[in-house]
This record gives sequence, structure tokens and C-alpha cells, in this order.
Amino acid sequence: MSENNDYQNERQIIDPILELIDARPQFDEGGLSSVRYNLRLNPGDCVLIESKDVQQAAKFTDMCLGLVDLTEGQIRCMGLDWADLDEKRQAALRGRVGRIVSNGGWIDLYGTHMNILWPQLYHTKIPEKVLIQRAVKLGIKFGLPGLPVDVPNKLTALDRSRADCVRAFLGNPSLLLLENPMGNASEDLNIAFLEMLTEVRNQGCAVIWLAPDDKGWKNYKKDTTFQLRLMDDGLVSAKKRS
Amino acid sequence: MSFLDKIPFVRNFLQRLGAVSRSQMRFTLMLIGVSWGVMREAAFPTSWRRTVRIEFWSTLKQAIGGGLLSVLVTAGLTGFGIVAQAVYWLGFAGMAQLTGSILSTVLVREIAPILVGVILLGRSGMLILTELGMLSTGGQMRVLMGMGIDPFFAFILPRSLAMTVGGFTLGVIFSSAALLVGYVVCRAEGVITMSLWSFLDQVTSSMHLIDYISIFAKFVFSGFAVGICCCLSGIDTTTDDDLASLMPRGFARGMLSIMIINVVLSVWL
Repeated sequence: MSENNDYQNERQIIDPILELIDARPQFDEGGLSSVRYNLRLNPGDCVLIESKDVQQAAKFTDMCLGLVDLTEGQIRCMGLDWADLDEKRQAALRGRVGRIVSNGGWIDLYGTHMNILWPQLYHTKIPEKVLIQRAVKLGIKFGLPGLPVDVPNKLTALDRSRADCVRAFLGNPSLLLLENPMGNASEDLNIAFLEMLTEVRNQGCAVIWLAPDDKGWKNYKKDTTFQLRLMDDGLVSAKKRS
Repeated sequence: MSFLDKIPFVRNFLQRLGAVSRSQMRFTLMLIGVSWGVMREAAFPTSWRRTVRIEFWSTLKQAIGGGLLSVLVTAGLTGFGIVAQAVYWLGFAGMAQLTGSILSTVLVREIAPILVGVILLGRSGMLILTELGMLSTGGQMRVLMGMGIDPFFAFILPRSLAMTVGGFTLGVIFSSAALLVGYVVCRAEGVITMSLWSFLDQVTSSMHLIDYISIFAKFVFSGFAVGICCCLSGIDTTTDDDLASLMPRGFARGMLSIMIINVVLSVWL
């Protein structure tokens, strides 16, 4: 019991990576319900959020990134309130977040390699050669032969999922927002992804993993911090099933 | 409660008046704001991140490389039609000494900026509009914002400036090619006997400093306006928009901006 209290106290002392404090989004058609959302993610935490509605999940991650206006409450990312930051600083902070979006967000104006490198080229001054080396290394880890140069449309759904993972993990993010990352995944990609997830969590990265069902995280449940459900009345606790 | 809140009729009237005024002026005000933003931010080296530079060079390559053939063909036809005809009829009327000033005024100052603007709009502007419109309606623009990539820096700034440089480059190429083709046609038909350098000297010596400023300004501002109009029209979309509604709107805005700039500069300078 006392151990438990110590753990709770320790958790309060640590600065959270992401904190939703009574955040109530503005009512928006096809978006999130305008209810209060509360969530606290410490470094290394991983929360699984079951959400049947893909659009709702996307809006929720947008809200975590300060892209949704709030009527009340606040959202703090890495100790900073989105509402207190100007646009440039907001953009810089979002650059510290790795993301997998449900619709891919791929831009067919460029090859997949540029799509993957684009956020890092924009936000950092790391030499392109170094970024390419890191991306290739990650690509191989996730089952790609290297860094694909075809436009994303020409890749298979599985290869796009692999490229999604490379883009999200590239640049050592402090926070990962994953919308159904294993939706089109094969068994080997799933294994590589979970290994990588554990690795970045050990380095202090916090993770929000949203999915419509538990197919992708079945083997990972016991390693997560807690599980929630995203519903019309907000974030609802879900029982951990052993 | 303020005074206006006590009079619902006045409040409603002012509300409606404001709504109409704002909706009518919205794009124009956005255009002015974004234009100022581009000019201001372009001065800061920190705005020129790697992705911005990549976008600038690829747009410049597309604008100049893609529009070059169209510009050369149009310039050839213009040279054949206008230059040759002007030289012929001025010679026929015994006013050959006016050839230079008429060509510089009519062709280089008035016709070239409009034709180059139209080519730039059709060849590159509509492409920009389509690309950015698809990204906006497809949700990719929002994803980019979620990654901390500001569409203003990623697309509007580099593309509009590339179109500005492209407009000036294509304008100079157009004017040179049109005069050259005109000279060749006249020489081939025996209308003129002077050398090419004498012909070009006649054209340039008839121009004053204000003409040079006007020509430069028209090419530069036409390119800039086309770039900004197309970028903004592409980014400023709603979920109801598709290519069928986006393209005519963007084309009309682009054409209007080209005409306004050319008329204003012609009157002013």
C-alpha cells in the first residue's frame, strides 16, 4: 500500500509529457463531443484508447496537438500550454511529436522518401545524409528494403504502414500519437513495431495508441500503463483484461 | 449591457452589414495580408528552411521549364504578328523612326506582361491550385499542420516567390524572342535593312527609366499575384469544394489580379 503511494507521489513530481486538464473542445460537427477530457501521460507511459469512430480518434489526436479550440480547460504538452504559445512555437513543439494518422497523410507530390524526411528537414538542422541513414536503418527494421522513393500511392498498404512507422519514429519523438498504426500490419511488422515502441518508451517517450479494436495491441496489453475508451461522453476507463 | 445591445434592430443591421462586407472582401483582405506576410518573412534567413528551399527550386524549375515552350511559341507568333506588322506599316506610312518607341510601348510594356501572366497562370498557377486544393480537401494539409509544418512557410512563401522570379524570367525571354522573331521576319521580307543591333538599339533607346521600372514591376507583380492567388485559392477550400468549383474560381481570381496589376501600373507609371 505504501509502495503504491510512493509510486503515486513520484508520478505527481515528474513533469508530464502530455496533460489534458478538463479540456472541453468547441462543438464541431463530425468531431469530438464537447465534454471534459482529462489525461496525464508521463515519460514512458503508454495509453491504449479504443475508439470505434476513426474521425473522432483523429480529432482527439488533433486536440492533443492543440489544433482544436477549447471552450475551457487546458492542454499542456511537455510542460507548455498550447494556448500560451504563438504559431511558430506551436509548430516547433509539434515537431517533437511523432504521428501516425489514419488516412496516412501522404503527399503524392513527392516520393515516399521525401514524405518521411520532410518533418525532420523542416524542423531540424541534422544533415540530410544522417537523416537518410537513420531512415534507412529504421526502414530495414520495419521490413522495408531501404527508403522507398516511389510516390506513396504506388506502395502497397503494408509498405505504407511500414513507411508510416519510419516517419513516426524518425527524430526520437517525445510523444507518439498513433491512430490505428497496425491496421494493415503483418505479423513481422507488428513484432518490429512493438519492439521499437518499447525501445522509445524506455528513452522516455510517451505513447497514445488509438485503435478501433484490440487486434494490434493484444500482445502488448500487459506492458501498457492504462487503457481507455473514447466515447461520446469522453474518455472512459476500460478494464485491463489479463 | 452596452447601448447597442439595447437596440436589437440596430445590432442586427450592423451584424448583417458586417457579414456581407466581410464575405465580399474576405479574399482581397487575405491576399493583402498574405502578400505582406510573404514579403516580410522572406527577409528572414530563418524562414528559408531546407524544405522551403526545395519547394522554391522545384516550383521555379516547373514555372520556367514548363512555361518556356509556351512562351517561345507565343512570343514567336506575337513577333510575327505585331512586330513585323508594326515595322511594315510604320515604314509604309513613312514613320519608321517611331518603330522603336511603338514596339517598346505596345509590345514590351503592355502586351508582354499580360501574355506572360496568362501563360504563367495556365501553365503553373493552375497546377499549384490543383495540388494545394487536393491537399486541403484530402486532409493532408491538416496532417502537415499536426506535424508542425506551417502551410504558409511550406507552400505559400516558396511558391509565390518562385512564381515572381519565374514571371520576370519568362517576361524577359518573351520580349527578347518576340523582338527577335519580328526582326527576322522583317529582314526576310526585306522590310528593314538595318542590323539586329541597330534594331534593338532603336527599341531600347526609345525607352526611358520609367519604362524599365514599369516593365520590371509588371512582370514581377504579375508573377507574384498569380502565385499568391493560386496558393491561397488552393489552401482556402472547404469540404464542399472540388476541382470543378476550385479551378474556375482560381482562374478568375488569377486573371483579375493580372489585369488589375497591369492597368494600375500602366495608369500609375
